[in-house]
Amino acid sequence: MQEERLNKRQVKGMLKQVLNLTLIQHTIRTATPLILAALGGLLTEHAGMLNIGMEGMILLGSFFGVLGSYYFGSSLAGVVLAGLVGLVVGLIFAIFVIDLKSDEFIVGIAINIFAGGLTVFLLRSIFGVKGAFSSPDIIPLPRLNFPGISSIPFLNVILNNHSIFVYLSWIFVALIYIYLYKTPYGIWLRASGEYPEALETAGVSPKKMKYIGSIVCGILCGFAGSHLSLGYLTLFTENMSANRGFVALAAIIFGTANPIKTFAAALMFGFFDALGIRLQVVGVPSQFTQMIPYVATIVALFILTKRQLAKKKRDREGAA
Amino acid sequence: MNSKLFKKDLEYIVSLVLSISASLLIGALIMMANGRSPAVGYGALLKGAFGSKYNMANTFAKTVPLVLTGLATAISFRSGIFNIGGEGQLYLGAFAAAYVGITFTTLPKGIGIILAIIAGALVGGLYAFVPGLLKVKYKIDEVITTIMLNTVAVFFTSYLVNYPFATTRGKLNGTEIIADQFHLSRLIRLSTLNTSIFFMGFIALLIYYLMEKTSTGYDFKLVGQNSLFARFGGINDRRQMIIAMVLSGALCGLAGVFEVLGVHYRFLQNISPGYAWDGMLVALIVKNNPIGVIIMSIFFGALKTGSISMENATSIPSELVLVIQSIIILFIAGEAGFKEKFKEWNAGRKVKQKAGERNA
Repeated sequence: MQEERLNKRQVKGMLKQVLNLTLIQHTIRTATPLILAALGGLLTEHAGMLNIGMEGMILLGSFFGVLGSYYFGSSLAGVVLAGLVGLVVGLIFAIFVIDLKSDEFIVGIAINIFAGGLTVFLLRSIFGVKGAFSSPDIIPLPRLNFPGISSIPFLNVILNNHSIFVYLSWIFVALIYIYLYKTPYGIWLRASGEYPEALETAGVSPKKMKYIGSIVCGILCGFAGSHLSLGYLTLFTENMSANRGFVALAAIIFGTANPIKTFAAALMFGFFDALGIRLQVVGVPSQFTQMIPYVATIVALFILTKRQLAKKKRDREGAA
Repeated sequence: MNSKLFKKDLEYIVSLVLSISASLLIGALIMMANGRSPAVGYGALLKGAFGSKYNMANTFAKTVPLVLTGLATAISFRSGIFNIGGEGQLYLGAFAAAYVGITFTTLPKGIGIILAIIAGALVGGLYAFVPGLLKVKYKIDEVITTIMLNTVAVFFTSYLVNYPFATTRGKLNGTEIIADQFHLSRLIRLSTLNTSIFFMGFIALLIYYLMEKTSTGYDFKLVGQNSLFARFGGINDRRQMIIAMVLSGALCGLAGVFEVLGVHYRFLQNISPGYAWDGMLVALIVKNNPIGVIIMSIFFGALKTGSISMENATSIPSELVLVIQSIIILFIAGEAGFKEKFKEWNAGRKVKQKAGERNA
């Protein structure tokens, strides 16, 4: 009897340890690279290309972020270098998929393996270390504090003292939403994936729009990587992207490539990631919470297509 | 007809050789940029891959998972259904084999091993059946579902070996060691080469026969080229796709089984360093040709084994070969496009030449 009560108290204590404000703070933090990469990936998705090379692009961004920050002594240099490398890889993806008509997922797989090999190769040949590189000379990204909300207890913990990309990613969500749905360029980009012939007739090159989508995707994935390696901990470790590119892909599919829905999906997946890490601290297996984004995506796809099929059937019956 | 086909094959082999040479050249440039001699580097690589009985054994040991996952890719891709989930199927197959090996410890040697093999193939096949069914029945993109299922399997097995099946001896993130009679015998001292290579050879022969010599294999090809056309030709394209997917998953499961029975003797949390991805590259490079898969697997196995010796001899990190491999696949992926561009460029040049002649 007494034991049971003790267990209850333990559980309560554990819950308190897990479910608190820090969890929200961690969610925001872990969701940021997902948001950045997913925003990029949804552009290629709209342009009609499935980009599974995001994983590798993020990894390259992490490495070159550290490299730039270490050599130039400025986090901005790290971010710029990471973005540039992302741009180049996005360009390569575009050249192969659009001009050379390669299979997009083969190119994606090649990029992932290339990134895994190159980062470890450079880690060892430039820094002479295996596994991880960290140094006090790597300058972290600046953290922002808004004095206006520092006196408000909840918001202070949740919103203040984040790396700059956290706030930038939110701005990017709005920008990309406006770009996609409120400007002609956005319509062109979407048309390049859905109705390339129509776009061609309208005098806009679908190829150009696809290139833009792919390049911006590369840059954003590069940023996502630099947030990982310069945002909170300043270090690079082998395979640092740890499936985030695939989770970002999941967020895009879950959010039907709509920037706001994708943002929400990325936040949700970030939440489960943060929850998993905190559960692990109190000794609960984290694997199941980590699985959620992947399983959720399959379930969402299933529901989505079932609904579509049902709608088609209704339409057909209606027509008859 | 036949000579035309032959010419196409020959053309492809030429581009393949060109792609591989160009990638090795890029590798050489990277070595030079690091202040190392490519001749010494590649020399050490070659020696490390084939220089002695032990090295050769290691090269062939590395081909076992590559051939199996490569054939798995070849079967599915040729049928027009893209199984990218090999890694997950491999993990589950490996775990199934380990489970059999630590549970049925009283079985006699032969039967135990066969049971483990069947269990791994079955689990891998079933895990591939799910995305196959989703694709055929609901038209859900199998590329996405198999990618997602990869990670699910890795996390699930990670849970299993950290909690219910964690070894009590040391913190290894693995299961207990499987019973002695499940261990496949090693063939060369100190090398991990084991009898699984014979199993692999037998399986590869079966798959080759199935793909190239039977009507089922021909149906796979037809479905892959044009499923609608195949359907009009009286082939049940959906059934073929599912069969291809399940076979593909079973092969990946087997790759995992042999890692457990022949190499590690237990399931480990990170049992595969991406074998299924490598196998996929192998198959893609040779355009899903089963014999090509075997040759290319030996090449990749040699690169992997040799890269360690290269690192020891020249201190060039062994990961260089990953870079080389990914560049090969990029070139091959763009092969058709490169050819087209070259033809366009060539045609343009000829037109210009003719125009020039006329003007003169």
